[in-house]
Amino acid sequence: MHCFYLVIAFPFIYALAVPFLYNKFNSKVHTGWFILVVPLLVFLHLLSYIPAVSSGRTIYLTLPWIPSYDINLTANIDGLSLIFSLIITGMGFLVIFYSIYYLSKQKEELQKFYIYLLLFMGSMLGLVFADNIFVLYVFWEMTSISSFLLIAYWFEREKSRSGARKSLMITIFGGLSMLSGFILLSLITDTHSIREMISKAGMIQSHSLFVPAMLLVLLGAFTKSAQFPFSIWLPDAMEAPTPVSTYLHSATMVKAGIYLVARCTTIFGGVPEWFWFVSSAGLVTLLYGSINAVRQTDLKALLAYSTVSQLGLIMSLLGLGSAALYFDVAEEGAVYAVAIFAAIFHLVNHSTFKGCLFMVVGIIDLETGTRDIKKLGGLLHWMPVSFLLALTGSLAMAGLPPFNGFLSKELFFTAVLNASKMSIFHMETWGNILAITAWVASVITFVYCLIILLKTFGGKPGDYKLKKKARKAPVAILIPPLILASLVIVIFLYPNVLAKYLLQPAWQAVLPTFAETASLQIKISAWHGLNTELLMTIGVVITGAFLYKTLRKWYVIFRYYPAALTLNNLYELLLEKMEKFSLALTRRYMTGSVRDYLVYILGFIILTVGGFFLIYGGPTFDSFRDASVNYYELGLLIGMLTSALTVLLARSRLTSVIAVGALGFLVAFFFVLFRAPDLALTQLVVETITTVLFLLCFCHLPKLKQEKTPIRVKAVNGLISAGVGLVMTILALSANGNRLFESISRFYENAYELAGAKNIVNAILVDFRGFDTMLEILVLSMAGLGVHTLIKLRLAERRGNEGTE
Amino acid sequence: MNNLVILPIIIPIITGMVMVLFRNNIWLHRFLSLLATVLIGIVSIMLIEQIKTAGMQTLYLGGWQAPFGIALVADMFAVLLVLVAALVTFCCLCYAFSSIGRERGRHYFYPLCLFLIAGVNGSFLTGDIFNLFVCFEVMLVASYVLISLGGTKVQLRESFKYILINMLSSFLFLIAIAYLYAMMGTLNLAHLSVRVAEAGQGGVITAVALLFLMVFSLKAGLFLFFWLPGSYSAPPTAIAAIFGSLLTKVGVYAIIRLFSLVFYHEPGVTHLFIGVLAAVSMVLGAMGAVAYWDVKRIITYNVVVGVGFILAGFASFSVVGVRGSVYYLLHDMIVKALLFLLGGSIIHLTGTGRLKEMSGLIRLHPQLGWMFFVAALSVSGIPPLSGFIGKIFVTAGTFQTGYFWLGGIGLLTSLLVLYSVMRIFMNVFWGYTNLTEETEKGTTKGLLPSMAFLTVLTLALGLGAEGIHTYVDLAVEGLLNPHIYTGTVLGGNGQ
Repeated sequence: MHCFYLVIAFPFIYALAVPFLYNKFNSKVHTGWFILVVPLLVFLHLLSYIPAVSSGRTIYLTLPWIPSYDINLTANIDGLSLIFSLIITGMGFLVIFYSIYYLSKQKEELQKFYIYLLLFMGSMLGLVFADNIFVLYVFWEMTSISSFLLIAYWFEREKSRSGARKSLMITIFGGLSMLSGFILLSLITDTHSIREMISKAGMIQSHSLFVPAMLLVLLGAFTKSAQFPFSIWLPDAMEAPTPVSTYLHSATMVKAGIYLVARCTTIFGGVPEWFWFVSSAGLVTLLYGSINAVRQTDLKALLAYSTVSQLGLIMSLLGLGSAALYFDVAEEGAVYAVAIFAAIFHLVNHSTFKGCLFMVVGIIDLETGTRDIKKLGGLLHWMPVSFLLALTGSLAMAGLPPFNGFLSKELFFTAVLNASKMSIFHMETWGNILAITAWVASVITFVYCLIILLKTFGGKPGDYKLKKKARKAPVAILIPPLILASLVIVIFLYPNVLAKYLLQPAWQAVLPTFAETASLQIKISAWHGLNTELLMTIGVVITGAFLYKTLRKWYVIFRYYPAALTLNNLYELLLEKMEKFSLALTRRYMTGSVRDYLVYILGFIILTVGGFFLIYGGPTFDSFRDASVNYYELGLLIGMLTSALTVLLARSRLTSVIAVGALGFLVAFFFVLFRAPDLALTQLVVETITTVLFLLCFCHLPKLKQEKTPIRVKAVNGLISAGVGLVMTILALSANGNRLFESISRFYENAYELAGAKNIVNAILVDFRGFDTMLEILVLSMAGLGVHTLIKLRLAERRGNEGTE
Repeated sequence: MNNLVILPIIIPIITGMVMVLFRNNIWLHRFLSLLATVLIGIVSIMLIEQIKTAGMQTLYLGGWQAPFGIALVADMFAVLLVLVAALVTFCCLCYAFSSIGRERGRHYFYPLCLFLIAGVNGSFLTGDIFNLFVCFEVMLVASYVLISLGGTKVQLRESFKYILINMLSSFLFLIAIAYLYAMMGTLNLAHLSVRVAEAGQGGVITAVALLFLMVFSLKAGLFLFFWLPGSYSAPPTAIAAIFGSLLTKVGVYAIIRLFSLVFYHEPGVTHLFIGVLAAVSMVLGAMGAVAYWDVKRIITYNVVVGVGFILAGFASFSVVGVRGSVYYLLHDMIVKALLFLLGGSIIHLTGTGRLKEMSGLIRLHPQLGWMFFVAALSVSGIPPLSGFIGKIFVTAGTFQTGYFWLGGIGLLTSLLVLYSVMRIFMNVFWGYTNLTEETEKGTTKGLLPSMAFLTVLTLALGLGAEGIHTYVDLAVEGLLNPHIYTGTVLGGNGQ
């Protein structure tokens, strides 16, 4: 086994040790210190792959899991998975460090927190490295589950629970649809490996199931990455402790969908469907997220919507970039492939600046006891370092120099402008709308960045009444955001170092077929001269600043948007309706009345068997084998009918019992007539005993009450019984008319020679089929035991035993 | 001829009979019942190994060659089920030790459980349709007594319905056998298979096949499951767990056996119909599970969903789909027993089944809570627990056959299943703790080990799916190649 697997498994293995560490040391040392080892170690190990990967190599490892069904832990270490895994472990390290100061070791159940976190880290690493689609699915669901547990970390709060449930339902829904998409892909290509699927992309794209498979996989990606309209779970996930929001819900897990789309770009890309679905979903999300961010007053909710919006941006870039695959000649498409590069670049940048912002918000929350921007203000005076951090983060998000966000935002504009000039996929008509949407969303992004910064830190300190007195944050908790903030600037200063070692390998990994023919090289620079992109940025700043100044005036329009129409409400309504409808429907047929159940069962038999006869040709009667009916047989039949009817119509129990007895005796007569005297004798004995027993029991019962059943019920009953009788008779006659083979009974006629028995029936009962008889004896003894316990054992009612509502 | 084949049926009967004689010695009952299940487990493991190396094992009872006598047939599918049934019963019995109470124990609880297992194992192992009927009777009569054991009001009310409906289905079963015998002139399953193949599965035979399907659907809770939620919530937990885990599966087994061995010539009619019924059961079951705020109801409706899902894979009638069904069937037996036991423990602790009256149990019962969490994920097929491999294959199988609607419904209902069981978890275990150790109605003393064992099993079956693939694949091969079965059972006789 390659040591790589040990490293990936390290979080899982370590998670097992956490309870022990917690119990042993937590009174003295914060458990988080022990956890720090994990991401650090994995991070350092992963760094060792950079030289190989950046020189264009891909390391492909296989560890068997379920090899018989081709479900193996195949790891694909290429640029894309490496960049993700470095974010996962790097951010993981910073977040755990941050959490040591954020979560109190006295008040919190730290062992749970870190177990969940390690589970998540391990699953997320597994997800990005997995090449086998089903293994990817396994880790995909595991990230959903660990995210669920982390969101509900404070499980006593109602909001945490409902937020956790919402995220679980939506992401698992996506996971399932992704799974079905994967299954379709595996059926089309007969492989479980993404790499091999990429090599069979042409085959997939020409298959009739291409579009369904694509949509299903996209549904998975969109739910995980909170694309519109599945974004609603992300703001609610903010109920989790801030380290979790930083880690899962801005830096890593929500990017799993991005990862998936990037991975599948070569499989699906190059066709208009993929281009339009991905880029329009991204753009709509970008706009939706930014608009909603502006209306938030809770800082974390604001950041959540901004994450939604930024994820939309990255998604749209991936969609736009897929156009490159349309061109057979790679050089033609290279222009559009830049969008993919921009997506990866922005993904990294987003992790840094958004992580920094989340951490700052967490510190504000910790120190002031609130995240509400209506209550906050003037923090600049107490928390200058936090202000600087927030400044770096929010301006990077707004896309201003000298921060890394500027570079990727410019690339975004470049990509959009390139795409809008395309002459394929109907871009002639839609191109401008695309560009305008991107620009408008950027303006709004700028506005909420200003809100984060100015509403919190600006203003005079005396104007705001804060519960806890704002004080300077402890130095140590500032270290992680400081590192992130410095990364924001360092990346701006030296983007090409990052590009060379990480971004370009990842870019090539997304477009492997492309990379072979065209050189995917790019040089990032902050200054391109006065081009359209820069003009757009300047426009964003001016318009954004103006809008922020006039915020009060146009903010009111949000109030006119009916609350009932928000996606959240629709989700709640859906759940509520589903439960109500289910209950109503279930109650409707689960009446608890035996009569209804019998109607269902018998009615269903009539419909099925009868319906089958109607559809697939009628039954075949063949009467030549039927014996002629004698008059005394007819008489017996009439007698049986009469007694059966008497049972139904009798007004006293006595009459019914006697009628039942009479019916039994008449059946015994038939046995006599058909030359089965031993059966007749048995029947007579049984009938006699049961009749006597009935009579004995019934004298203890009250008089039979005359039931008043409505005509309608009676009619249904009649119809059903007649129908069942009819179907059964038809079936019996056809079965009788279709004696296709000689019966095996001839064999038994030799009973005397075979078993030494002169009575063939006895020989069958005790020898040929003696096992049946033995089991029947067991049945009778059990029935005896049953009667015994029914009489003897009457336990008192206990509430716990009641199953009913 | 292999005498091991009959042991899973005979061992419980004999030990049960001995126990009836020593009625008041509860310790003996406990010891013998465990011993019996362990022995069955050992026998089935031996059989599994033999089948792996030497193919299906048969036993002609009384030495009467098939098709004239009763043949017992141990193929991989049947024996796997026998093994899992033994495991599940072992756990339920252990659970019963500290929960069933002295009175029920004295009133033949343990022997009846063993008789029930005898019937279940008999149904799995028999190769004769009339003997199948008799084994059903053994199982059902045992279940009649068990469901009413204790004679509380709810139990009596529900057992009345249960008995009535099962009587009706037994009656229909008998009629169907009579019709089949009239046409085919034989009762041996292998012989039936050969003869149906020879005659061609015409209209009347298919009609009788549908009648059989109705009968087994009633037992399995496939579409005709109206009786199930009520009667499975009435008896004490250990009994309900055995019911929920095993009884419906016998019906499922019978459907799979009959429609893979005998009536497999018209999959476009019969198997498609099974698929439709499976889809409807999944939808109705999931809706029932979502509708109620009561622990037992949610769990019993989930039984219906599970049955639908297993048969969805079978309905596809492809190698992949049937493989999924077998995996899922084994998984479902384990996890349903676990869910019933966990649900019962919750009710035992809190004294109520209403979710709205419970809260925060995890503070005092972390093990119970996490086991429930694992079970909840497992029952919804979340990886890497035991359900997922079956789920993947069932879905792939339905897709392969072109029944996209069926696979889609299966996946969507698994989401609803997750919703319904997570509702239990979140309401019962999360939130503020409203009970203290003093105000609790019972303890989990003695209950946890059996549930822990099942939890480990569901984990192991998921992570170690590779470990049993040889056996599952052999089972699937046996199911999809009826000529192996007929050839082994009949030898030269039926050809």
